[in-house]
Amino acid sequence: GQEFQFGPCRVEGVALQELWEAFRAMKDIVQAKDNITSVRLLRKEVLQNVSDTESCYLLRALLKFYLNTVFKNYLDKAADSRIRKSFSTLANNFFVIASKLQPSQEKEMFSISESARRRFLLFQRAFKQLDIQAAQTKAFGEVDILLTWMERFYQ
Amino acid sequence: HIAEDTSDLLQHVKFQSSNFENILTWDSGPDSASDVVYSVEYKRYGEREWLAKEGCQRITWKSCNLTTETGNLTELYYARVTALSAGGQSATKMTDRFSSLQHTTIKPPDVTCIPKVRSIQMIVHPTSTPVRAGDGHRLTLEDVFPDLFYRLELQVNHTYQMHLGGKQRDYEFIGLTPDTEFLGTIMIFVPTWSKESAPYVCRVKTLPDRTWT
Repeated sequence: GQEFQFGPCRVEGVALQELWEAFRAMKDIVQAKDNITSVRLLRKEVLQNVSDTESCYLLRALLKFYLNTVFKNYLDKAADSRIRKSFSTLANNFFVIASKLQPSQEKEMFSISESARRRFLLFQRAFKQLDIQAAQTKAFGEVDILLTWMERFYQ
Repeated sequence: HIAEDTSDLLQHVKFQSSNFENILTWDSGPDSASDVVYSVEYKRYGEREWLAKEGCQRITWKSCNLTTETGNLTELYYARVTALSAGGQSATKMTDRFSSLQHTTIKPPDVTCIPKVRSIQMIVHPTSTPVRAGDGHRLTLEDVFPDLFYRLELQVNHTYQMHLGGKQRDYEFIGLTPDTEFLGTIMIFVPTWSKESAPYVCRVKTLPDRTWT
């Protein structure tokens, strides 16, 4: 696996290529189900110009949301076996990465964590404005945007 | 009102991307009339408005260059084609979500193979792309893909090959027999995106050794 440095948070053993392969295996199926082409959840305001220190807070919030809200309910609907296999690869890896992200909770980091929280809320608000199933499908179809962003922190 | 089946007007609307040259292509149906005209629109994923592609409105050919319009590497795009027959039939079809970073294929590198008496030098030239940096200069493949590297192989005989590789551009296979033909192949690899180019192939003959003549 590779090593990533999300600001103060170092994450080793990330098999990014495995994540990409898992995503590519189901990308066309999932993205074809998302016909709301005028809405992008992980848009520029969420991911662009994120400072290194902020990245640990933001990624942790996003991965936990994916695990608790997107992946959690998606599996029962993911009848297609190609999706199920990709699904568990992504979910397992997201769980491992999220557990290794331990951002500092000290007072002087408050403004940075707050900035990360505002970015996350932009994403969450856009998610909640959609019907839950459409939102889950869209979020699942945007994993490539998240992986592309994560690569920036590859060491 | 029974919806008219116009799927034979338009099929396979998709992007074909190579070294970030992004071309939209499509097909007409098997028994589609020849008097059909096509109009192209595109947009960024997440935006509402479709934009008409100038130069690809009411055209009769079946491709459209959207390289400039889809040149931002952090963006994802959609394109769609509307086909209109003289008889008034029409059909519109959209591409899958397109990301040039994910979808572009890599062309073979441009290489100069220089034979010497007991070695062959291979110089890989940087590959320019249509992608522009913030200041407007064109990026090379190496700029876009930091983990890009080259793999070189020299076929010495049926059973023996020599291998070199790395990120630099200048390589030399040494210890070769003078006045002998060799086959060189050079490929580009981008591990993070699981991309691999087709090989560039050069057939070269080492120079005769004239030192004792």
